[in-house]
Amino acid sequence: MADPVTFATGTKSREARRPVIIALQIGFFIAWMALWEIMATTGLADPFFFSKPSLISARIWEWLSGGFIYEHLITTLTEALLAFLIGTVLGVIFGLTFARIRLLAAVFNPYIRVFNALPRVILAPIFLLWFGLGIASKVALGVTLVFMVVFFNTYQGIREVNPVLLNNVRMLQASQRQLLRYVYLPSAMTWIFSSLHTSIGFALVAAVVGEYLGSARGVGFVVAQAEGVFDTTGVFAGLILTSVVVLGIDLLIEKLENYLLRWRPGG
Amino acid sequence: MTPAVSFDSVTIRLPTPDGGALTVATDLSLDIVEGKFVAIVGPSGCGKSTLLNLAAGLLFAPEGKVRIFGDELHAINQHAAYLFQQDALLPWRTIVDNVLLGPLIRGRSRAEAEPEARHWLQRVGLAGFEKQFPHQLSGGMRKRAALAQSWIVDPRILLMDEPFSALDVQTRQIMETELLGLWAETRKTVLFVTHDLEEAIALADEVVVLSARPARIKGIYPVNLPRPRDVAEIRMIPAFTTLFNRIWADLRVEVGAAAHG
Repeated sequence: MADPVTFATGTKSREARRPVIIALQIGFFIAWMALWEIMATTGLADPFFFSKPSLISARIWEWLSGGFIYEHLITTLTEALLAFLIGTVLGVIFGLTFARIRLLAAVFNPYIRVFNALPRVILAPIFLLWFGLGIASKVALGVTLVFMVVFFNTYQGIREVNPVLLNNVRMLQASQRQLLRYVYLPSAMTWIFSSLHTSIGFALVAAVVGEYLGSARGVGFVVAQAEGVFDTTGVFAGLILTSVVVLGIDLLIEKLENYLLRWRPGG
Repeated sequence: MTPAVSFDSVTIRLPTPDGGALTVATDLSLDIVEGKFVAIVGPSGCGKSTLLNLAAGLLFAPEGKVRIFGDELHAINQHAAYLFQQDALLPWRTIVDNVLLGPLIRGRSRAEAEPEARHWLQRVGLAGFEKQFPHQLSGGMRKRAALAQSWIVDPRILLMDEPFSALDVQTRQIMETELLGLWAETRKTVLFVTHDLEEAIALADEVVVLSARPARIKGIYPVNLPRPRDVAEIRMIPAFTTLFNRIWADLRVEVGAAAHG
């Protein structure tokens, strides 16, 4: 049993330490950047391979202020979002069907395992051939990644529905459709939401990798172009920009998740 | 008069941990008269809860028949509400949304069902907690909400499976008294499974004692104690003690048999 006194003081001291932690985090960032800058300037690290924080930040600023990067960012985000939406819808539908129809799950079990074991990034070249250099090939790749995550979580979520909740709602005379609506789906939702971070990350990975391998637009394309002319600064700028965007999306998802799962104890 | 619930030579099988099934009773018959509060006691593993699930239509007996008001039961019992031992409120719905679920499922609109749900929450002493989620309430309060959830649909039969066993003694007695209060207003048929003989006598009109495996009806004891009862005070009166000793003499043999068997 949790001791309320220790618990309370524990929370308080963590609150009190917060500014210190933030200061240390910022300090580490500045030290790291300074070290990188100095190493590159003095030639300890070859600026050809490592570039310099000052050059990279100047490049990012140039992209943002000049408006060059927006078209590419929007392309990448569109691909990721489409892959995420389509993959989630398909994953929920299939997860639900497989969890409710035992025979289907039993028959397809080995195939699903094989497909899941396959490193799906390897499908990118095939999708490029099938769907061309436009956004469709990137969305297709993203769908295969997102689908698996959502599929497994939905399947698990439906299979692990608390039987007491199920019996209770059955006693309230719920039909099969109502059981799905009031018990199975909300129960699986908690699993699906907790997989949101993973699946949106996968969708972005798929978009960038797909663009890198062949495209005319997108952040992956920008990085590939920079790499083609040995422009290390451009590669780093692309990487950092992508990371910041993903971080922003992650924070938004966390807010959404906290709201939607507010009924959970301690949530 | 047709009994509310009638078990007609049913077989009870319990699943075993290794995936098999253990037959704990064969040829078990019992009639529950409409309007009576009947408690079922017996040693653990004798199939009390399974009997309740048969009456609910959540399980079906491999042999024998269950009749509800004379009609053989083949699906979920439409006349019954069930109060489970475990928490059965949907954790993602607020308390009021949980209580109005029954009417909602039966096709009533939310706008229609909500005032009724609020009224029921008030009756069980949960006014002001409508918008809370189940985990924000204490165990006793969750039981009150579950009570409201099952009574709002006005069932003719109430099935209760050790509903208060997880509560502390004080909360438990309060809940028992409130249950009797609600029951006195409507006189629904109640089937109350418990392992606590005192609770059974304090609440019921009739106590059914099941034997250890193979389970049979060891005895049916009418409880002729005055109503309305206060569950805490009734334990002090001599008639209670006499009855308790009589039933316990029978029950202890079975509990002993179950412990050694």
